[in-house]
Amino acid sequence: MLTEIQEGKTLDPVVKHITQEKINLYAEASGDFNPIHVDESFAAKTPFGGTIAHGMLNLAYVSEMMTSAFGQDWLSGGKLRAKFKESARPGDTLTINGRVNSIEQKDGVSYANCSFECRNQKGETVVAGETTARLSSAQE
Amino acid sequence: MQGKSVDYEELVPGYEFPLSTYELSAPLVSKYLRAVDGTGDGFVPPLAITACAIAAMTGSLSLAPDTVAIHASQELEFLKLVPIGTVIECHITVAQKITRGKMSVLILELESFDQDRERVQWGKATVALPT
Repeated sequence: MLTEIQEGKTLDPVVKHITQEKINLYAEASGDFNPIHVDESFAAKTPFGGTIAHGMLNLAYVSEMMTSAFGQDWLSGGKLRAKFKESARPGDTLTINGRVNSIEQKDGVSYANCSFECRNQKGETVVAGETTARLSSAQE
Repeated sequence: MQGKSVDYEELVPGYEFPLSTYELSAPLVSKYLRAVDGTGDGFVPPLAITACAIAAMTGSLSLAPDTVAIHASQELEFLKLVPIGTVIECHITVAQKITRGKMSVLILELESFDQDRERVQWGKATVALPT
């Protein structure tokens, strides 16, 4: 976890390699077997030209970064807004970066407002958005 | 997962998907953690709850063959820690349905409650589909 939350602080990045095996595992774990994710012959005939990772798998990596930084303050009291901009495909390496943009006080509680971006190895933004973590007094 | 299958045309603002109830058991959470390369800390990863909710919704939605639904955006709010073993009830409602040219956009509201009827998660998903 981050020991000191300050404006401008960057969060420890998360790097993940996407494989079809991981996508299939995610489909089994989530129950989302949409053929665009798991059926290579179906996906090849779509505008995507091949299978793509579940958007929620990409978001899970964002949540991992936030959990590493904020622990239970993220799991209870966290907020997220994300836009899926590009698809992640088998073979892609995703890097998720985040930054604390501001610390805000509301009704005696502190909140860390962060932004994040998940990019592939070509530098394309796959997911981007904002997160908020409620800070316990230990982290303020 | 439970409930009947619904056709896309039946989805109008205010439509409530059949309730889905699932237990966030240790094997289910460990399967999820393996899939996302995650490590456990005794609590259910909040995105695992969302994933189950979305899967329950898509599982009860009947789309034309070859239709590809695109998850365009997601909002989430995690309201309480969820211990492993919690039984979750998920409510999904169609908030908006917008048709723009050859695309249709569905905005869905998701709410998950635990067995004590406490709200554990709120969310909004935007899904785009070809019409």
